[in-house]
Amino acid sequence: MDEAARAEAFYAHVSGGGKVEPDDWMPDDYRAAVLKFVEMHANSELMGVLPEREWILRAPTLRRKLALTSKVQDEVGHAQLLYRVAEDLGKPREQMLADLLAGKTKFHNVFHYPTRSWADVGIIAWLVDAAAIVSQQALRDSSYAPYARTMKKICWEESVHIMHGRDVVLTLMNGTDAQRASVQEALDRWWGPLMQMHGPPTDPATDRDLIWKIKAKGNEQLRQEFLSIYVPRIWELGLTVPDPLLAYDEAAGQWVYTEPDWAELRSVVTGHGPKSQERLEFRREARDATQWVRDAIIGPVGTAAA
Amino acid sequence: MTELDAQTQEALAELLLSMADDEFVLGFWDSEWTGIAPILEEDVAMSSVSQDEIGHAKALYELLAGLTGDDADRIAFGRPADGYRHAALMNHARTDWASSIARRFLYENADAIRLESLANSSYQPLADLVVKMRREETYHLLHFDLWLRRLAEGGEESHSRLAAAIDELWADAQAVFAPLAGEARLMAARILPETLETLRARWLERVRPRLEALGLPVPAAATPPDADGRIRHTEEFAWLHGEFTMVARSDEAATW
Amino acid sequence: MSDATPAKDRVWEVFRQEAEGDPMVHGGSVKAPDEELATHYAREFYGRRQESERLWIVPREAITELDDPDLLKPPFDRSFKRPGGFLIKHKLEAARERAGTAPAEEAGE
Repeated sequence: MDEAARAEAFYAHVSGGGKVEPDDWMPDDYRAAVLKFVEMHANSELMGVLPEREWILRAPTLRRKLALTSKVQDEVGHAQLLYRVAEDLGKPREQMLADLLAGKTKFHNVFHYPTRSWADVGIIAWLVDAAAIVSQQALRDSSYAPYARTMKKICWEESVHIMHGRDVVLTLMNGTDAQRASVQEALDRWWGPLMQMHGPPTDPATDRDLIWKIKAKGNEQLRQEFLSIYVPRIWELGLTVPDPLLAYDEAAGQWVYTEPDWAELRSVVTGHGPKSQERLEFRREARDATQWVRDAIIGPVGTAAA
Repeated sequence: MTELDAQTQEALAELLLSMADDEFVLGFWDSEWTGIAPILEEDVAMSSVSQDEIGHAKALYELLAGLTGDDADRIAFGRPADGYRHAALMNHARTDWASSIARRFLYENADAIRLESLANSSYQPLADLVVKMRREETYHLLHFDLWLRRLAEGGEESHSRLAAAIDELWADAQAVFAPLAGEARLMAARILPETLETLRARWLERVRPRLEALGLPVPAAATPPDADGRIRHTEEFAWLHGEFTMVARSDEAATW
Repeated sequence: MSDATPAKDRVWEVFRQEAEGDPMVHGGSVKAPDEELATHYAREFYGRRQESERLWIVPREAITELDDPDLLKPPFDRSFKRPGGFLIKHKLEAARERAGTAPAEEAGE
């Protein structure tokens, strides 16, 4: 079978719901597409640690401290799981970390923004994780089987985070006027990035990630799902969403809203977000400061036997 | 056992607070490694250990709260910086990995010896809690002995960093066994089955040979800990205290 | 192996047992330079939430994979190797009709 015919059979296999394992033959395009997708996801889990990390020290009760440390620990764990999947596709972990820190690869928009208060911790754990879980649930049936399996584990672990986030928010909403105000203020700041998080709608006819079933649902579908579940839950707490156009259109069977700022999204994910450079620099410093440990324990990079 | 008299209760409270604060402060410092540890897998491991410490601190604060009619979170978050009674070993900020591993090795062994002895405490609630904590500490001892060895044998740089860290922390490590004001009371009531000096001697017997075997010599003279080993604090701890009380202090009446 | 891979890092596959008596099921993999550290990390990733009874930690190189469809899914009929390969429904109905009997019930039920 020549290469082209083999590729055609492969694409028919994945488009038809077939699965792929790491040692299977796959066309370079498919391998590259999965790697890019998984690598960005791994990067996002790793960078996603930083906005919440500073609040680990500031968590106001013993139980909150435990829950938040555990949640952030899980994100690090998810980064590990995803880097493992990506690495088995052929790109070494050290290379992926180097590319991330050099700004060559991306991570999701929400992790480029500051966290200003304890209320942010609640909003992120509840709504940012919720938006992520909507995406992740749709990936549990990915054509690339190791990724699908990892997503099942991640979804199971994330369900705890959303409960923790919602609990933090509810406690604040049932508290003092100042606490309630802090939640509204945090929501006002995070709404824009949340709406941009799933990305602009793509054309199903040309979205290769969809065609090859690397992902199962399009961006707009994911956003609609997120809105359907979470907007009612936001409103029931007496919170307002800072978008005067946000409403469910019964006739159209979907949510209408102010068009998210796609220019902001593009700018942020290319490293121009409010905290992008500071966080990358923080990571670079941490990595440099601990290089001696890796050299001692696993050997320096570039010393592997051929 | 019969009700404790006021002085014995005060002595017990001091003991519980010293143990809880050791776990609490160390758990805080090491939780800073979350997200930035040298290796991804180790990041998760170190975070687990820190959570264990906070969990133990929580249980000890709750035991103390039951005794004094207070509230665990208030004890944990509500004191001024000079009200904390952790050992001087915990006054040091988290600096580099060698320092954290050195501190962990010294502390886990000290804590293990302390818990071994307290498993026979006449104060049953503490003895019961100690049995549970010791099971979790098994992993800690294994994990940090492993890292001590790896760094000691990992080459010139890791060895010298580790040796320097042990050297720097050695004197303050003695403070885990710093005398307590109520020690005599606790001994009389058999709440504390052995003196802290006895425990310290046992600790020295355990850690010295281990360190020497790895080429990490420690001072031969066994200088006893300073009487203020749990009372004097540093600017680093003052900073940490500011961080961990920040949200709680913003509205002391609020629920979080 | 590329230039970016450290010398002593290895991949270890982790198998876990969900509940007592269950089979070992593949969970995922960790990286570590040796068995001892690999075991600690396996505990972290597949056991820290008290979700496993038991773990097996195996170096990836120790695993031999077979995925050849000629061996695992050869074309000739092999239904005689599976219960579903024997369709007795009609034969049973015919036998009952001939004997004039009702479907058998287990004694003592």
